[in-house]
Amino acid sequence: MIVLGSTSEVAQAFVEKALQEGEKFEKIYLFTSNKETTERFARHIDVKFLQQSEIIELDLTKEIDYNVFENINSTLLFCAIGYLGEGTKEGLYDNKNTQRIIEINYSKLIPVINYFAHKFENRRSGTIIGLSSVAGDRGRQSNFIYGSAKAAFTAYLSGLRNYLFDKKVHVITIKPGFMATKMTEGLPLNPKLTASPKQAADCIYKAFKKQKNIAYVLPVWSVIMMIIRNIPEFIFKKLKL
Amino acid sequence: MKPNFVQKVTNWGNFPVVEKEMKSDDSFDKIKDFILTHNEVIARGNGRCYGDASLGESIFSTKKLNKFISFDRLNGIIECESGVLLSEVLEISVPQGYFLYVTPGTKFVSVGGAIASDVHGKNHHAEGCFSEYVIEFKLMIENGEIITCSREENSEKFWATIGGMGLTGIILSAKFKLKNIESAYIRQESIKADNLDEIFKLFEESENWTYNVAWIDCLQTGKNIGKSILMRGEHAFPHELPQNLKEKPLRLKKKFEPTVPFYFPGFVLNKFTVKVFNLLYFKKQTKKEIKNIVDYETFFYPLDVVNDWNKIYGKSGFIQYQMVIPKEKGKEGMKKILETISRSGNGSFLAVLKLFGKNNPEAYNSFPMEGYTLALDFRVNSKLKMLIGKLDDIVQEFGGRIYLTKDSMSKSSLTNYLRNIQNSKFVSLQHKRIINNNQGS
Repeated sequence: MIVLGSTSEVAQAFVEKALQEGEKFEKIYLFTSNKETTERFARHIDVKFLQQSEIIELDLTKEIDYNVFENINSTLLFCAIGYLGEGTKEGLYDNKNTQRIIEINYSKLIPVINYFAHKFENRRSGTIIGLSSVAGDRGRQSNFIYGSAKAAFTAYLSGLRNYLFDKKVHVITIKPGFMATKMTEGLPLNPKLTASPKQAADCIYKAFKKQKNIAYVLPVWSVIMMIIRNIPEFIFKKLKL
Repeated sequence: MKPNFVQKVTNWGNFPVVEKEMKSDDSFDKIKDFILTHNEVIARGNGRCYGDASLGESIFSTKKLNKFISFDRLNGIIECESGVLLSEVLEISVPQGYFLYVTPGTKFVSVGGAIASDVHGKNHHAEGCFSEYVIEFKLMIENGEIITCSREENSEKFWATIGGMGLTGIILSAKFKLKNIESAYIRQESIKADNLDEIFKLFEESENWTYNVAWIDCLQTGKNIGKSILMRGEHAFPHELPQNLKEKPLRLKKKFEPTVPFYFPGFVLNKFTVKVFNLLYFKKQTKKEIKNIVDYETFFYPLDVVNDWNKIYGKSGFIQYQMVIPKEKGKEGMKKILETISRSGNGSFLAVLKLFGKNNPEAYNSFPMEGYTLALDFRVNSKLKMLIGKLDDIVQEFGGRIYLTKDSMSKSSLTNYLRNIQNSKFVSLQHKRIINNNQGS
């Protein structure tokens, strides 16, 4: 299994869920920009499940050496890389913030996924799971830089799913909604709309087993986003969302 | 949305509820930052202590310190971060033939919490407190430095932290020993006792059993005071198991776990319903004595089966009152306590009696001392404080003390046995209450 963004609590919870359910992986490749935290996770799954893993440093804000990835092979890729950055109100005109959001959530990330998608395509098997966001369903004033990068990512996953369909590779888009993770700690989130990493992992694992195309983590989000998507633009532009 | 870490926090008893800053992180650098940038810090594990021990001005939740570090499967030594729950330890240790030496009545406490409370179990008379099996732990102290504490290294801090209610620093990880088991089942004997004399006699006769505990019906009066059921147990050997369990003696079958969906309205628990509950509980066992085999969850964690059972006490919450009375006066003291409760009509839904063995003098901050300990749940209402005051007086008269992990109302003279924890950085609401409130009330 290849995990992009291994310090993500959802990614870690998903790895644990899969191992608990008895999925077998020869090795888990943990891609991370934070070696210290990931080493702790690697030891954890070794202690808990006797699962071998390898840590690979990946910093999307730097030059990437693809040669390092050459010997990495798997049939499952889980991408949890995401960067919220500053909201639009605080960070819209801060170019560094904008660039970082676009790079980490989209422009620097896609080539990495493409690299592995190519391997999957050649082998004609495998599943790619990408964590996008409900923020990508419609641009809203509060976080549309992040939202637009996630919208692009959603479109990419959708296209990739279409492209890889007859190559026997499946692509799943996950739209988590609010999650109680490091990314959102301290934000006043409605607990009824917020999933814990474990809940999210359970749902993603279900989507993986059922080979779903698109899945919202909490079902209520599919309803909320359907409404938000369908508000006519002349009304939507006046809303404070 | 700008982060705001102020939130409503409460522990298992849902009393008291405070609005304080609470943050969680798994990066040691960030934890250090938190300590250095806040005046009064207290660590909180899974919030399973009942009262105000893990509440404070700035709360650091160890929930994200949830990783295992090592497991020596040959010698049964495990190391994990402090936010790992005992349930998670059991999940991996039981199938390997290891159990916790000491476990409290819920498996949902964190390892850090178990050390800070120096928890005890049904085997205190035989195997002591949790700390007996702790080899070492890592503690982040007031300047953000991480120190290793063991009996040899930083031993002063080691013993001050054991039972020290988090007032010496933030425990980051711990290494401790596990005990060998050959099955996940317990050979149990349940014996009915009609009164206090009988139950005390049973306790003394059962001293050779590893695990002893009694459920008391605390609404009984007169000669029926102390009506109870003693449950004693031993880890079962595979050959003692029924045929269908022999094949996989270390595996438990998955069970249905109901959840209490909402806070019960206040009137649900009253003298009448508690009486009915106790009646049913004690009538269920028709024979004087039952011998059977039960799985370890049923034996050790009967209440964990119902998720969020604390909600049955309603939104006003409940407290757990646990005291210990020295052995020689134990019977007399318990009689007085039970009489007082029975007279008050403030029935306890759950009342558990145990006999503690000798304490470890090195673990000077631990609650247990040789004697009888009773734990009682009471729903918080306007009359409760008066009852607690009366019970406190009795405990004081008999030279007993109160368990800090469950306390939120008692007299400070019964709870101020903590030593060597004077530290202006790590401060809990409980600590403040104990120091500032010498009159109790």
